[in-house]
Amino acid sequence: MKTDRIDDILARYFQPDAEPGDLAKRVLAAARESARETGRLLDKISIQATPSGVSLIRAERLEKPATAAARKLCDRAREELAEYFQGKRAFFSVPVDLSGAPNFQKKVLAAAGRIPFGEVRPYAWVAQRIGHPRAVRAVGTALGRNPVPFIVPCHRVLQTGGGLGGYLFGTDVKGRLLSLERTTPVYEGCTSTHIVCRVGCIHGRHMRPDNRVVFASVDDARSIGYRPCKVCKPARAA
Amino acid sequence: MGRVARGDEAAFGELVGRYGSRLLGVARRLLGSRADAEDAVQRALLQCYLGAGTYRSEWAVSTWLYRILTNVCMDELRRRRSRSGELEPPARSDPPGEHLDLRRALGRVPTEARVLLALRYVDGLSYGELAKIRGISINTVKSQLQRGKGLLRAALTKGGTA
Repeated sequence: MKTDRIDDILARYFQPDAEPGDLAKRVLAAARESARETGRLLDKISIQATPSGVSLIRAERLEKPATAAARKLCDRAREELAEYFQGKRAFFSVPVDLSGAPNFQKKVLAAAGRIPFGEVRPYAWVAQRIGHPRAVRAVGTALGRNPVPFIVPCHRVLQTGGGLGGYLFGTDVKGRLLSLERTTPVYEGCTSTHIVCRVGCIHGRHMRPDNRVVFASVDDARSIGYRPCKVCKPARAA
Repeated sequence: MGRVARGDEAAFGELVGRYGSRLLGVARRLLGSRADAEDAVQRALLQCYLGAGTYRSEWAVSTWLYRILTNVCMDELRRRRSRSGELEPPARSDPPGEHLDLRRALGRVPTEARVLLALRYVDGLSYGELAKIRGISINTVKSQLQRGKGLLRAALTKGGTA
């Protein structure tokens, strides 16, 4: 590439920045904290399922699933939750069974389920979305009784002023989930296959760490020759 | 890296001392503010420390670090885009003039090309290293850089800087 005035301007602009002296210390402190947190939440959780989907996630001990199909779904949900808590999953593929929930709650949970990963919306937004703009308190109650927290992301619903509001597993867990989602990428590509997936796709599980690149969008990935995965369909989720 | 993988904190400190300012330079130019850049570099270094065992010796350490950092920055750019629907980095405390014009112009350069420009000009990385960092061919690197510079030249010529 020929050097010209643009090169000089860019070289002046892209000067290295002075590094804060305590950067290594801060990282090491965060590493210790992260090691303590990993797995702690998963140990607390019990999961119940019917043959058609996960039906209950709670902190207290639940009855064991009655059928082999339900047991399989419980194991799958636990696996997906473990990946989610480790920042290796940005969506859930395990089905849920909300047939026991009243109609109003089903609508509320469906609206909460449409909030994109890593984003938040106020309770009033959910109320508006389900066509009951004045039922903000009832929305809060319905979310508070969410049978399948984490999978249906009621933790992404906050108070209008930005306050955390309530949460089944406590507000500190709600805060931790939101910060986890802020640091979990959504689109990843494999440098050997040139396929871009949603983080958590089955294709990504076997990807070597040094083959992994993150994208800001599916279009960005396309612009440098990657194609969207046919299994997780990242373009449709965007 | 072997010492870092064994949990040697002094070795990690040396690594941060050697690469920290260059990583911050790239992150700041991509994300706009010093605070966001420090946050991104901290997250990248944390991933590097926790994942040091997966480091493969055929990689240059700097290439591996830049791969992790660009992954973090890319996701931050995605989040901003979904929040605001725009690509341009937020205002930063540059003096008016050339830097301000360039920052504006860079906001019009597609994300992938912008990342490659930052890596190329902060650390003078080769086409081969850039290709490895983003998992693309050398020809794609060249065409992306060419395209990015072309857009910058057009924007700056219009604004009277270049």
